[in-house]
Amino acid sequence: MKLNDSQIEDLYAFTRKHYVEYYDLQTELVDHLANAIEDQWELKPHLSFEDALQIEFKKFGVFGFMEVVEERQKVLSKKYSKLIWKHLKEYFKLPKIILLISLTVGLYYLIELAIVDRSVLTILLALSLIAYVVDAIIHIKINKAKKNSGEKKWMFEEIIRQYGSGLWLFFVPIQGINILNLSGVDFVENSPVFIAVFSFVFVLLLMTCYIIQFEIPKKAEQYLEETYPEYKLV
Amino acid sequence: MYIYIRTLGMSTSQLYRGSLTTIILKLLEENGEMYGYEITQRVKELTQGDLEIKEGALYPSLHKMEAAGYLTVTAKKVDNRVRKYYDITPAGKEETVNRLAELDEFLANMQRIINPKLSFE
Repeated sequence: MKLNDSQIEDLYAFTRKHYVEYYDLQTELVDHLANAIEDQWELKPHLSFEDALQIEFKKFGVFGFMEVVEERQKVLSKKYSKLIWKHLKEYFKLPKIILLISLTVGLYYLIELAIVDRSVLTILLALSLIAYVVDAIIHIKINKAKKNSGEKKWMFEEIIRQYGSGLWLFFVPIQGINILNLSGVDFVENSPVFIAVFSFVFVLLLMTCYIIQFEIPKKAEQYLEETYPEYKLV
Repeated sequence: MYIYIRTLGMSTSQLYRGSLTTIILKLLEENGEMYGYEITQRVKELTQGDLEIKEGALYPSLHKMEAAGYLTVTAKKVDNRVRKYYDITPAGKEETVNRLAELDEFLANMQRIINPKLSFE
């Protein structure tokens, strides 16, 4: 005996009820449970769907699907970090390295200028503040649209979106304050090496934010298809 | 990662801990692509029901191996649902060889310790 469509739907609902929010994992677990229930029916054809499901679910242990979900999260977070790293490495090759160098040099001179003239610093901070506000608004809109659309949730997509909306907001203000504080210290003024290293690290952080914020989300479809062979099937 | 074994009500899971990856790799190497449930059933069949892979350990292990590049995944529509098949990659095959060699060495050493008289060395 095979499971019918509505029983498959029930299995999806069952996984959702047991905290498996993501469609990719739901699909794999639904197929597993379905196979197991069908096998049980071979031996005991009169067993109810509900009873068979409970027997199979118990095999997952006290924590149910939690372990599967948590481990999947770990694996995909690692994959995401690797992805950021892969993008970042591009900035050390032509042509992107030109951008990296010019931004570093640009920032170097801006900091030197800011040490002399504090108003440059104010303008910089004001500009970055505007950038976050615009950015935050864009993200809130995207997330809202996504939530309302009721589409299937994919874990990797969620990771891409979550990182995309968070990190950016943190980095730059902290760094801005750092510039402010550091520029008041004497040794910064007297140490071009320090300013150069600082500029480079800062630009690198900025690039990472840009990758997380724009580059990876732009290629999200491609990455999702690579991660999920079932992405196109559904 | 853990497997549990049902032998006379005694749990010897400790011994099998850490061998799950090797078991999966070896099975895929021999049988070609398989799906999760199929793997659990095959292990049960091969060990005549003595060894049961815990579902909560199988999928994390499969996902980890996929991320490590040892396995690839394809999805197919079977009946009224989507099934994910895992297959071994060349890197996975290499890993299988290494792990099996390690296992052989382990068994040989255990043999030497448990049955020193049988050793010809």
